[in-house]
Amino acid sequence: MADTEKAPGRARFRCLRCGSEFELPYTQGKVEERCCPRCESNSVRRLKEEKAKSG
Amino acid sequence: MADVGRHPNIELLTLAEVTGISGYVGNFTVKVHQRARFVDEKECTACGDCVAVCPQYRPDEFNSGLVQRRAIYQPFPQAIPAAYVLNMADCLGRNPIACGKCAQACEKHCINLDAEDRDLEFEVGTVVVATGMEPFDPLGMTEYGYGRHADVITAMEFERLASSGGPTGGEIVRFSDGRRPKSIAFIQCVGSRCEGRGLSYCGNICCMNTIKDALVIKDHWPDIDVKVFYIDLRAFGKGFEEMLKRSRRLGVKYIRGIPGEIEKATGNGALALHVENTETSKLETHEADLVVLATGVQPRAEARALQQLLSLQLHPEGFLLEAHPKLRPVDAPARGMYYAGCAEGPKDIKESVTQASAAAGRAVRLMSLGEITAEPYIVTVDPDRCKACGVCLRVCPYKAFEWEKGSPARPIEALCAGCGTCAAECRFDAITPHLFGDDQLLAQIEAALAERPQDKAVVFACNWCSYAAGDTAGVSRFQYPANQVLIRTMCSGRVSEKFILRAFELGAPVVLVSGCHFADCHYIDANRHTQQRVEKLWDRLESLGIRPERLQLEWISSAQGQRFQKTMAELEKLRAAVTAAEIADTRRILGEQKKPARKKTDG
Repeated sequence: MADTEKAPGRARFRCLRCGSEFELPYTQGKVEERCCPRCESNSVRRLKEEKAKSG
Repeated sequence: MADVGRHPNIELLTLAEVTGISGYVGNFTVKVHQRARFVDEKECTACGDCVAVCPQYRPDEFNSGLVQRRAIYQPFPQAIPAAYVLNMADCLGRNPIACGKCAQACEKHCINLDAEDRDLEFEVGTVVVATGMEPFDPLGMTEYGYGRHADVITAMEFERLASSGGPTGGEIVRFSDGRRPKSIAFIQCVGSRCEGRGLSYCGNICCMNTIKDALVIKDHWPDIDVKVFYIDLRAFGKGFEEMLKRSRRLGVKYIRGIPGEIEKATGNGALALHVENTETSKLETHEADLVVLATGVQPRAEARALQQLLSLQLHPEGFLLEAHPKLRPVDAPARGMYYAGCAEGPKDIKESVTQASAAAGRAVRLMSLGEITAEPYIVTVDPDRCKACGVCLRVCPYKAFEWEKGSPARPIEALCAGCGTCAAECRFDAITPHLFGDDQLLAQIEAALAERPQDKAVVFACNWCSYAAGDTAGVSRFQYPANQVLIRTMCSGRVSEKFILRAFELGAPVVLVSGCHFADCHYIDANRHTQQRVEKLWDRLESLGIRPERLQLEWISSAQGQRFQKTMAELEKLRAAVTAAEIADTRRILGEQKKPARKKTDG
C-alpha cells in the first residue's frame, strides 16, 4: 500500500514529539489512547487533511 | 438459594427486570417491571398436575434445549420459589381464550390466568450487579460442525447430559444414535482467544471444566477414551494442577493442537478430527464418537441495558469495569454499586462466591455506617454564574449533578469524586473544586513562571499516576532535568485550557499535560476529556500561529518512573528548541487575544 493510501477504519497521524507520521486505527467520535510507534509519545495528532476529509 | 428465599431481610423478585434507576449512594430509587407468574407462588406446591395436562411444548432452556418443557413449568428443579410459572408467550394464550386446562387441573386453584404484570418502585442504599454471563455460540465457527453434526455438542450441553438431574439421568449418549460413545474428544478455546472470529480473551473456566468433565467420564466409564485438544492448559489455582495430573493418570490424553476440521469418518459413524499436533509438528487424524466444544464465555447481551441505566463503564471485552483492578475489585467506579460474579469478568464458582461475599460485605459496611465520608475535593457551583448549559453533567464521569434546563446545576456531594473535569469544561467559571480552584492553580502557574520563564517547562501532573511516576523516578534515582515545574491536579481532566494558555502567555516555552493511561484513569474516563481538550487546543494554537508541538500530552502510570524520566528529558529538548523570539511572539499573540474587540464606527 502506498504511503498516502490508508486502510478503512484507519487514519494518518503525526507525532508532535518526534515528527513521524503513521497510520492508526481510527473511529470517528471514539476517544482512544494512541501512541507514536517510534517514540511512544501520546502527543499524537490526526493530520489536518484527514480532518478536512471527514468533516 | 433456599437460604436466600427464606431470609427475612431478603425480598426475592423473580421474573423481574430493572427498568429505571436514579439517585446516588444511600438514595437509589429503583424501578422494576415484574412479569406475571400466573401461579400463586405461596399456594403452589409444585405437585405437577398442571404440567401433566398442558398441551404446549417448548425447548427447555435450562437443559440447553435438549428436551422440551411445557408452557407451565418449573424453570429448574431447585428453583426458588418452588412454584410453577406459566409463560404466557408459550401458552395458547388468553386471547381469544386460554385452554385453561392447567387451571382446571389445579385443585388448590393456584392459577390465575388474569394476573397482570406489575411495576414496582423502591428505595435502596446500595446496588449489587450480578447479571452473569452467557456461553459463546459456536455456530459461526463452521470448522467444528456444530449444528451440522449431531454428535458435536457444547460443554454446557455435555453438562446437562452428565447431570443426574438432566434429560438422560446422567447417561452420556450420542444424539445421532442414542448409544454411549466409546471415545469423546474435547476441543478447548472454542471462541476464546480468537480475535476477529470470536472472543479475544481467555474464558478462564473452560480448561478446568473440561478436566472436571474428563474426570467424571473416567470415574463413571473408565473404558471411554477421552482426548483433549488444547492450545495450552491453564490449570492455575489451588488443587487444579493435581486434578490435571489425576486425569492424566486415569488415561485422559492431551493433544496440543486445535482441530482445523471435523467431518464424518467413513464407515463407523464416528467423527474424524484433523489436527496439527504442535508438539510433534505432524498432521494427525483422530476419531471420536462425541465431540464436546469448550466454548468461551461472554457478557450477557441483556446486561447492556442495565449497564446504561446505571452509567457503568465497560471493559473493552464488554464486561463491567471495576473501580480499581487490585484495590477495589468488587466496586463499581460510582459509589454504592458493587459487582458479583461474571458480570465483572469470566470467573469460576469459587471466585464468584468470593466476590459476591465481598460485595455484600462492602455494601453492608457502607450502609451500617449510615453516613459516608466525602473527599475534600468536591466541587461547588456558583448559581449566579451558572448558565444551566448542562455541560457539567455531560462530562461528569459520575453524573454527580442535579440539573434541569433553566436552573443552575447542583452538585451531588455524595457522588462527586473531585476530578474537576466539570470545572475545566465550564465556560462560565461557575464551578470551583475545593483545593484545586482556578485561583489556586493560576497562582501556582504565575509563581512558577515569575522568574526566567524561558528556562522552564510547565508540567501538569495528575495526582494518581504521573505525579506518582515522578516520585517513582525520584526514589529510583532516575535523573531528569530540574527546570521542570510540576503542578499537581487530582486528575488531568482538571487541566483547563486557560491554565495552558496562561502558562504560554507568561512565557513558558513548553507545557506538558500528563495523566493516567486510559485503562488506569482513577475517575472512570475523565482523561478522555483531557485528550479531547488537548486535541482542540492543538488546533487553536495552530490557528493562532503557535506551534502545537509546544503543548505535549503524555500518559504515564505511577510505576513508569523511567517513562517519566524519558518524557522529561524529551520535554527539555523541546524546550531548548523554542527561541526567545518565538516566546515573545506567543506572548504578544495571546496578549492581543485578551484585548476587547474594538467597536466598529461608521465612516
